[in-house]
Order: sequence, then C-alpha cells, then structure tokens
Amino acid sequence: MKVKLWGTRGSIPSPGPETIRYGGNTSCVGVTLSDGSMLALDAGTGIRSLGLALAAEPARLHILLTHLHLDHIQGLVFFAPAFQPQTEIVIWGPASPEASLRDRIARYISAPLSPVEVRELPCDVSFRHCPQTEWEIGPARISAASVAHRGPTLGYRIDDGDSSLVYIPDHEPALGADLDALEEDWISGFGLARNASLLIHDGQYADAEYPDHVGWGHSSLSHALSFARRTNAERTVLFHHDPMHSDERLDQLGREAQERWSAIGGAVGGIELGVERAEYELAARAPSAVPI
Amino acid sequence: MTTQKPLELILARNLMSALSTPAFLVDEGGVLVFYNEAAGALLGKRFEELGTVGAEEWGSLFGPFDENGEPIPYDELPLVVAVRNGRPAHADFEISSADGARHQVEVSAFPILTAHGSQGAIAVFWPASSGNGVVG
Repeated sequence: MKVKLWGTRGSIPSPGPETIRYGGNTSCVGVTLSDGSMLALDAGTGIRSLGLALAAEPARLHILLTHLHLDHIQGLVFFAPAFQPQTEIVIWGPASPEASLRDRIARYISAPLSPVEVRELPCDVSFRHCPQTEWEIGPARISAASVAHRGPTLGYRIDDGDSSLVYIPDHEPALGADLDALEEDWISGFGLARNASLLIHDGQYADAEYPDHVGWGHSSLSHALSFARRTNAERTVLFHHDPMHSDERLDQLGREAQERWSAIGGAVGGIELGVERAEYELAARAPSAVPI
Repeated sequence: MTTQKPLELILARNLMSALSTPAFLVDEGGVLVFYNEAAGALLGKRFEELGTVGAEEWGSLFGPFDENGEPIPYDELPLVVAVRNGRPAHADFEISSADGARHQVEVSAFPILTAHGSQGAIAVFWPASSGNGVVG
C-alpha cells in the first residue's frame, strides 16, 4: 500500500510563501492498494493535483469522504477524472437522516456555488453511504466509524495485507473526556485506530490554542499524542494543519511533538507533521511503516 | 476492528460526566454502561465501584418503588421503555440508596436514535416536585 499526502491543511486553502513547505491545499490523501487500485481519502483542494497526476490512470476510482465540510469536498469539481467519460468514480461518505449523500454533495456542486451540476459530470459517478460493517475494495478491507467532530463524520481504516492505514483528519476525542484515563472502548476512534501501521490524525492546534477552540471538532497536540499512544499507532502523521500556522510555526510544533513523543516512551520517528506530497510505503508484512 | 462503544454513547457519557444532574446511560441491549457522579451520590455508590450491570439486573440496585412501596416491574421503568420502544418516558417513584435512605424522584428517559437505529437511552433523575406513579 502506498500513501501520498496531496493536501494537509485544515479549514481553508492557505497558499503563500509562508506555507510553501507543509503546503496550503486542504485534506486529500491518495492511496494505491497492493493490486494498483486507487483510493482518495477526502476531496479537499489537494485532490486537484491528484487528478492531474492520474491523467492516464485508472478508469475506476473510489473517493472516501470523512464528512462534507468544504475543506474536504472543495476539490471535487476540479478533479480532472470527473470530467472524463471513461472514468467511474464511487464516492463513499457518512449517512445522514437529513438527506442522501448525493443530495448533500449536490448543494456544493450546483448553482450558484458551482458552474456544473452533479448530473452534468461526464464521468460515471455514484454515491454510497458507508456501511457499518467492513467492506472490500480490491484487496483491501475498509472500515468506517463515526468519530467525534461536528456533524456526521467518519474515520477510515484500510487494511491491505498486513499493513493498515487509519485516517481520522478531523477529530476531537478529548471533548469532555480525559484521554489518558478513559477506558479504551470509550475513546472515539479507538476501534479504528488500534495498532495502525500508519495513523493520519488531526493535530490542528497547539495546546495553548485549544482552549479557545473547544468543541470545534479538532485536537490539540497533547490530544493527538495521547490518542496515538493509547491506540499504539506505529507511526503517526499529524494532519489538518491550522491555516494560521506558518512553516516556521509547524517546524516548532513538529519539534515539540517529537520531544514529547520521546518523553512518553514513543519510538524515534514515530511521529511527524504531514507535509504535502510526502509519500509512505506500507510494506506488506513489515512491522513498521517505511518512509520513501 | 476492536469493538467499541458507538460514538453517540461516548458523547452522551462525556456530556453526563459534566452534569450535576444524576444521569444514567444504557446501551441498545439495556445494559447499564454508565452513570455520573451525581447519580453515584444519589445511589451511594460510584459507577467505578460497580461497573456495567446487565439488563434486568440494574433496576434492583435502587428499588424503585411505587406509591404503595411495591417494587416497580423492570419493564415499566422509563429507561427500559425508552430503549425498547424508542420513545421518551417519564415517571415519579421512590428509590433506595446504598445506605437504605429513600428518595422521591422524577425520572425522564429518552432514546438515543441514530441513522443506524437505536443505540441506547439516557435517564435523568431529579427530586420529585409532586405526584406519584409511573406514567411512562
């Protein structure tokens, strides 16, 4: 399984000279399964670059949406494969009692917000609510579970062979809870993330920033570290960077994360900040994720 | 994937933990999975001392008793009505705490319904203002 980060920013695209290293595109992760099947996790503005990279690539693609906040779907109408008639796209996402996944996404892909309507997309696109039970895409087993964020929001686990990728980009598991003291089965997202080879997890706020954002649906650095430790993630990538965090600020947070991870007994190289275009290869039977 | 509590129960527990109103939480099978500190004070026993209690068993922890002092059948308790029937229920009754003290309380219970069906129910207790008898 190969993983590439196409957008690591949270909330709103943040291009500019101050974010050039970590990137300004919003959430999108490309996953190539062991048989070559292609998944995209979320469709923030990063999916535009993924689409360009796919140019002559697979005719079938799955997009797994965690939720429908704009920073996770904004790139859909700029995703080149969606405009190719030979492409089949399956979009998975959370169910809602209010409306179907298709109708909720169509609120964005419609006038006046979009120049095209869902029905006008040339590709063969379908929309599916994620089941509560595990399902398969190619050689991978996919699990989705609701996690603590604002509105219906999922986290995903992808198991391919002996390696596992867990993606929970928007997550506030410590809302009203002490993550260090709580029993495992009472921690939001725990069942998904346990013993992941690679955990991509919300790390939006510095600890000092969190008190002003309680209930906004995101994690502080302390919360992300606690979650990674409790779930025994082999390697954790902190993701969904705050748009106010410059490269220099993220460098500081990255150093702090590594120091604190080591202080609680974490392995060297076990935690890092997500960088746009960074790639990871999760070897089939290797006990650890290997950077490339 | 490790079995864990549904998110709705996790969030309910987190909310209940912050309340000073006695509150009880059961899962979809009627198992008592949590009560908060205020409920522990009312019962005379903290949840951490007791742990989860199976359906059909937890009712006997605190009575409850009707206006004649008779035990109220488990099936008629508001929390049971809420989780089984998926609708809110209310009752006035008397409970007995661990030290034997009796407390008249009003109880309201409501189901936790999600896109995937019922996940459990919550009951809140507070001192009775007037009246007796199960109405839920």
